[in-house]
Amino acid sequence: MIIENSLPVLLSRLDFAWITSMHILWTPMTIGMSWLLFFMELAWLKSGDERWYKLNRFFEKIFIINFGAGVATGVTMEMAFGILYGPFSQAVGPFFGNILGFETITAFMYEAGFIGLMVFGWGKISKGMHLFATLNVGISSSLSAMWILVANSWMQTPNGVVLKDGLFQVSNWWHAILNDNFIWGFPHMWVATVELALFVFASVSAWFVLKNRNADLFIKLLKPTLLALLIVAPLQIYIGDSAGKDVADTQPTSLAAMEGHFHTYLPDGKPNTSWNLIAIPDVEAGKNLFSIQIPHVLSLLETHTWDGVVKGMDQYPVNERPDVWVPFYAFRVMVAIGFALFFVAIWGNWLRMRGRMNASELRKHPWFLRAVVFSGFLPFLAIWGGWWVREIGRQPWVVFGLMRTYEGVSNMSMAQEIVWFVGYIIFELVVWSGAWYFFSRVIQKGVDDIPHSDTLFHDHGEDHDAAQAGGGHVAPTFAHKPMMHSDR
Amino acid sequence: MELSSDIVRIVSALSTWWWMILGLMFLLYIALDGADLGAGIFALFSKDEEERGAIMASMAGFWDGNETWLVVAGGVLFGAFPLVYGSAFNFLMIPLMIALWGIISRAVAFEFHIHARSSKRLWGWAFAIGSLTAPFFAGVSLGAVLQGFPMKSGIAMSGIASRGFTTPVMHYAGGAMNFLTPFSIWTGFGAVIAAGLAGGLFLCARFLPGDVIHERAKSWTNLFSYLALIAIVITLVWSYAIFPWAAAKWTGPNWWIWAIWFVIVLFFAFKSMTNHSMQHDFTALLWGEGVVVLLWAAMWATMFPYIVPGTWTVHAASNPANSMAVFTLFMTGFVPVMIMYNWYQIWVFRGRFTKKSVYGAH
Repeated sequence: MIIENSLPVLLSRLDFAWITSMHILWTPMTIGMSWLLFFMELAWLKSGDERWYKLNRFFEKIFIINFGAGVATGVTMEMAFGILYGPFSQAVGPFFGNILGFETITAFMYEAGFIGLMVFGWGKISKGMHLFATLNVGISSSLSAMWILVANSWMQTPNGVVLKDGLFQVSNWWHAILNDNFIWGFPHMWVATVELALFVFASVSAWFVLKNRNADLFIKLLKPTLLALLIVAPLQIYIGDSAGKDVADTQPTSLAAMEGHFHTYLPDGKPNTSWNLIAIPDVEAGKNLFSIQIPHVLSLLETHTWDGVVKGMDQYPVNERPDVWVPFYAFRVMVAIGFALFFVAIWGNWLRMRGRMNASELRKHPWFLRAVVFSGFLPFLAIWGGWWVREIGRQPWVVFGLMRTYEGVSNMSMAQEIVWFVGYIIFELVVWSGAWYFFSRVIQKGVDDIPHSDTLFHDHGEDHDAAQAGGGHVAPTFAHKPMMHSDR
Repeated sequence: MELSSDIVRIVSALSTWWWMILGLMFLLYIALDGADLGAGIFALFSKDEEERGAIMASMAGFWDGNETWLVVAGGVLFGAFPLVYGSAFNFLMIPLMIALWGIISRAVAFEFHIHARSSKRLWGWAFAIGSLTAPFFAGVSLGAVLQGFPMKSGIAMSGIASRGFTTPVMHYAGGAMNFLTPFSIWTGFGAVIAAGLAGGLFLCARFLPGDVIHERAKSWTNLFSYLALIAIVITLVWSYAIFPWAAAKWTGPNWWIWAIWFVIVLFFAFKSMTNHSMQHDFTALLWGEGVVVLLWAAMWATMFPYIVPGTWTVHAASNPANSMAVFTLFMTGFVPVMIMYNWYQIWVFRGRFTKKSVYGAH
């Protein structure tokens, strides 16, 4: 057994894995949805169509809950590197620390600055300023994803550094930032956020059509969403395939784990070209106890040749092999979901082409609507699968090939590790179940109580007795507050 | 020879620069979020959910921006001083973990309280209790850092064979409970008192005079003003007694600077209290924040050249020259930009509230 799977190190991995796995349930929706909200707001302002405004304000409620949960779980992340992986943080500080610093300063803070305006600024700032705030939330959250992927990709393919005095000192910033894994890794994650947000939109819309509530309004949203997915879903499959080839080149042990590929050659000396559909891997013994194999597929996938050699686990020392169970099955779940979502996108557009995309016709296809509702949950699972493949496939390294995971773990007792784990199980589950409960409440409530956009800039309810904090005893009204637009 | 000593001087200058920015980021966090947290502590004593909801609504729109300064401070620490980040946070695992749980409770309570029907009380309490535990354990962490911590090189984790792994980097080497001392517990209470005062001043400025919340916040602020003055004196005397590095500075040849500084602090406190009693609430808040700025700057200056007293000097803890240069080049310019758009955000949401009006509009 490798030292990374011994209980103290494994617990530290679980501690970190749990908080990251729970955090990644929120951030993709924030990133993807901020762009979709921007486009809806733009459509409203361009066309003056009140329905876009209604949809925007409705999904914004979900967005806010999601964002709050993301912040709540995200503050922990910023500290967790130092708390759980102190020696790692110290060693990678010259690059990884810098990049995390870039992220908080250029992206995290940037996003927090504009999100308040976007969420609470309706009626307080001009329409143009509000659109600008929404756009900036989209840009800043995507920028945040980019820096995080720079940092994580560098752990997979640590280019551009030299190890000196126990620190990873940067020898080439361009190579380190635009490292091999980042080139496909970042697009793969970013497109995932968009695909997830689109499917959440489609799923909620389909639910309303299925319940026959505001069906026309939601079909108006469903149409462009499904059309966009017809492009995004296959694009994601293509990017994912490219990212996979990249892993084959740069992290062959990770590829061997995700394909359950133990033997490079067959007993008769020929290359082992078989792809395992399913398998029961035995890492200790270095083989699969059972597997369903399809010859030549693995070579085709990874080398694009009929009989190409793909390096298996047996090419690497036992103490450098990752676990196989999780990468193998997580990878399969992710790929299966990727194709299933593409199929749903095709199905929807096919129905639309045949003129079925209206309330009465769609209700004759309840299974399509149910499939779309269900599809809203799948991207979350696919993102989990992808990250588990990535992080467990990299083991036993924390910085691939350069620093072992056990070398990076903080000085802590197992009791501390367990307290952290149990505490965060409670807190993260409360956040998760609370957020999903309130998602469902918002959806149940629907769009009917969202006031017309006309009310935004005129009616301030009881605010007329509000005074400025800075003004001492003078009490100008809230409506007369200086605003960014000229007609105040 | 010439070149390498030049590089040492450059790193020294850059690390001092980032040490100052780090101080500024922590200061912005405690000055801004301190008021939020304090208002949350005030909400512990609210009689009904309507009042807690009104208090939460009074900081809607910028509490997350305020909280983000903490994350930025963490980012600056990781980006410029990873050696401190990786050892001090290891040392502070338990208090930071509990403070983070407080922050999580608060953050989700903000979102859930609005939508909740039957669970409103639960989220109201999650908000208030989170607002208490976060500053308490942040204060404990600060006190613990002032006392320093033991370090060693090599493998950090105990109970694991090193397998030939060596590194010259110094890791945290103490136990889980090293942070817990009478002094660090006291600084926890001190932080709660400071936050309580800031929260009281904030609520006075935020709600219309005559409103129920304003009235209660007024007497709350009076009480906490005196508590804070006592706490400042206790902390100074205690620090003088146990920290030789502080005593050497305060009663060293430049003692008169520290004495004048202390008089200025008292003057600011006096102005805050008189403005408060005259109901110049926003002015009182600003004078009160001035006290925070002065004390924080004095603490930072007392610690120099250490970033963690007796453990890490600013110079020894900084990143290598090349990383410091890149971090300075690309990040320094963003600091004024961040401050500007955060200021704009606070400015948009300024104005006085009443308990009824905000709760309805929330």
